[in-house]
Amino acid sequence: MKQLLNRRNFLKGGLAATASAAVLKNKKTEAHSFEGYPDGMGVLVDLTRCVGCRSCEAACNKEQGLPEPAKPFDDFSVFDEMHHGQKRRTDETAYTIVNRYDVPEIDHPLFRKIQCNHCEEPACLTSCFVNAYTKTPEGAVIYNPKVCVGCRTCMIACPFYIPTFKYSSAFKPRIMKCIFCYDTRLKDGKPPACVEACPQEALTFGKRTDVLKMGKQRIQQKAGKYVDHIYGEHEVGGTAWMYISDVPFDKVGFDTHVPKEPILNSVKEFLGIVPMVLTIWPGLFVGFHLLATRKDKVKEMKEAEDRNNNDEKEGQA
Amino acid sequence: MKLFAKDRPEIPIVDHLKADGTEWTIKEKLWLGLSIDEYKKQFFRNPVNWLMISIFSIGIPLILGRYVFGLGWVTHSSNDYPWGLFLGFGLFGMVPLSASGFMLGTTVELFGRKDFHSIERLALLNGLLGYFFAVIFLEVDLGMPWRLPYPMFVSLGPAAVLFLVAWHVATYLSVQVAEVLPAFFEWIGWLQGKRIIRKWVLGLTISGIILSTLHQGALGALFTYAPAKVHPLWLSVNFQWIHYFCSSIFAGLSMVIISSTLIKNFMGWRCDDGFKDNLDYVTIGLAKGASYAMITYLVIKLVAIAHDQEWAYLLTGWGSYYMLELGVGVVLPMFMFAVGIRNQWVALIRLGAFITVIGIIWNRLNTALVCYNWQMYQEIPHWKEVWITVTIYSLYFLTYRFIVYRLPIVYGWQGEK
Amino acid sequence: MRTRKKIVRTAFALAIGTVFIVPSQTWCMDASDAPESVTIDTMSDLYGPVEFDHLMHSEYASCQECHHQTTGEIVVDPNCGRCHHSHDENDIVSCSECHEADRFNKTYLKTLENPELYHFDKPGLKGAFHLNCVRCHEITSGPTGCQECHTMTEAGEKRFNTGSYAPAKGTASSGHEH
Repeated sequence: MKQLLNRRNFLKGGLAATASAAVLKNKKTEAHSFEGYPDGMGVLVDLTRCVGCRSCEAACNKEQGLPEPAKPFDDFSVFDEMHHGQKRRTDETAYTIVNRYDVPEIDHPLFRKIQCNHCEEPACLTSCFVNAYTKTPEGAVIYNPKVCVGCRTCMIACPFYIPTFKYSSAFKPRIMKCIFCYDTRLKDGKPPACVEACPQEALTFGKRTDVLKMGKQRIQQKAGKYVDHIYGEHEVGGTAWMYISDVPFDKVGFDTHVPKEPILNSVKEFLGIVPMVLTIWPGLFVGFHLLATRKDKVKEMKEAEDRNNNDEKEGQA
Repeated sequence: MKLFAKDRPEIPIVDHLKADGTEWTIKEKLWLGLSIDEYKKQFFRNPVNWLMISIFSIGIPLILGRYVFGLGWVTHSSNDYPWGLFLGFGLFGMVPLSASGFMLGTTVELFGRKDFHSIERLALLNGLLGYFFAVIFLEVDLGMPWRLPYPMFVSLGPAAVLFLVAWHVATYLSVQVAEVLPAFFEWIGWLQGKRIIRKWVLGLTISGIILSTLHQGALGALFTYAPAKVHPLWLSVNFQWIHYFCSSIFAGLSMVIISSTLIKNFMGWRCDDGFKDNLDYVTIGLAKGASYAMITYLVIKLVAIAHDQEWAYLLTGWGSYYMLELGVGVVLPMFMFAVGIRNQWVALIRLGAFITVIGIIWNRLNTALVCYNWQMYQEIPHWKEVWITVTIYSLYFLTYRFIVYRLPIVYGWQGEK
Repeated sequence: MRTRKKIVRTAFALAIGTVFIVPSQTWCMDASDAPESVTIDTMSDLYGPVEFDHLMHSEYASCQECHHQTTGEIVVDPNCGRCHHSHDENDIVSCSECHEADRFNKTYLKTLENPELYHFDKPGLKGAFHLNCVRCHEITSGPTGCQECHTMTEAGEKRFNTGSYAPAKGTASSGHEH
């Protein structure tokens, strides 16, 4: 972890230096911690417990003051909705969604809740060029609409397709995404509204380290019941929300191909070359210039010499 | 214009002085030395202008609508495809095609290749306008366009790739303005300004190389934020920035070939003999440069596949599409360049350049749209989105033409220099 | 794969909230020691109180299937039996005495940090009820829909945008449509 921090700071330092050098302008580089906080909270989602009652969706809608839904929250026909061949996803009206999956090997449907996973090193945060995102010590990834320019790079970067854009608004568009109920609950130590609403305790709230322990214990104690994997323990460098399941994760809509390291790591190849280009290029190309124009210079000098010689000759004459 | 140029010796304007010895005013220069009626006449005679008018008549209301009703009114509001044509074409496509400025700047100013001097200004202008309109496209796409300066001055996220893009494009845009200014100073007759810029030219050129290397690369690196979304063949975490930088070289050069061809064919009255006589030689030279970049590009593409062990993907449908893109977009024009250079067939080179430009835009659209979310579904842009893209591109075309008509870009200023 | 039998065995385990039973002198309790019916209303807000027919349920399942070892019977899960094998009935039998109604409050979460604590993954009261009721009902074809056991209150209708608060057709906003 420490190593990671150093490298990251190094990169940031390099980039900051780069930017300042490029524009000859000293800028304040606010140190943002990309690390997970030791006391960050988390949620363990147990897919074997979820019954698809959509109480979490309803609770989220009210807690976050989101628009009225198209269908009531106790209408289960939404599970059959398909958009572009895809199941429902988060959008500007819903921060969390429950989808149903019919897995052939199992005689009953499975349900999976999606919302922001609140990564330890969030891709949205690291890709944002105006620092609109913050990972709070409580574990939430929150968003500041006051500085966002609406470039939507965070939506590109998020491996879980979570941030959504309020396309419907011309004058006050913004990113809409789950913020772990940070403002209203998490910062006071309370669980998010969805967790509190869940009748099945499919969502277990606690310190990330504790719920991770719980997940491991459940897998171990109910030997054979669960797949031996906690989705989110290592995915994209770890997430605050983690999942355990009794069927392989790819069968219930999880992307099992996401990297097991922070998204930022795949960008570092490029970030690493930036200081190099900035320091080496000027010297290199001035050198090229001198070499390439050497002939002209020599010619000029020769001409000047000839002229001098002629002058001298004339003087002598 | 040809019509007027034939029987009025002072037109096209190449000097401060009229035939009778008095000076042109700026206003007269703007009207190309024509009376307003004459100007109208030549304007409406041109069928291209009618095409423009028809594009704008729908496009302008659409653009206004976008600012009144929001992006959702002109796009599909996709959360799965946050970037559509405005960025896929406008930013990722326009910027590599504008690499010409730094390429020719480097060739002429840095390497002292004076034989390319006749095309340098066109290349610089091509670069400037390409970048400028990439920013315009960005302004259409941004959710909050009025906050464009935020990443510079209000809230800084220096560890983000886009931060580099923003700063470097902004800085480079200023560099390019400075590089094109001498033509403007000649035209308005302010030589002091030109002399000042002349002193900076080496510095400007070198900063142009640095900034271009970084932000052309950075545009590619933006996609490394989505390693699980872009098809592996179009995304190489290690080499993406080199792919983008390297392809921008031949993209920029090819764009200048196209633009100079169009100017020579449709604006012959505006070109001076230096430009016209040199063009074939210059075109062959540019094609040579482009071919070197292309072969390098192909090699790095291959290295990337080998590095990531992606050979198996080549056998899939996506693999065929990938090879089609490279085959048509790069290998074919590369051969056309090679044959054209060997046999001095400039027309073949020009056709090759056209294919190259299409190939690059195709590649950028593939990365940003077609092969993005390759495991999901294909997003087809909304017709309004397409129309607005075409409208802004037309605006780019008009601005380009407006400047080439007037400033000494493809002709030498005859007045004091 | 989940084993259905295990679920049956542990089903009915924790259904009663407010009941408080005085321990009898017998070595092991039986259903006759318990009240016939229990009203569960500790958390009624979105849903009204539930009348739980304890007598009826005790005919379906033995005590330990809901009450673990607390009634003095041998615990169902052998894993639990490794420690809970005393066969002594406990002073506390009611669900709410062990299962926290406010499962995720700060103070309770703090107690879970005790490294000596073994049962740090104990469900809260609401979770304990539903996990047992619903699973067993699924197997025995008992009621599983929310409103088959609960009557929704007005607050519930508001929360779920249903009943008198249902979205008017056609006017509701939907971000899904493209």
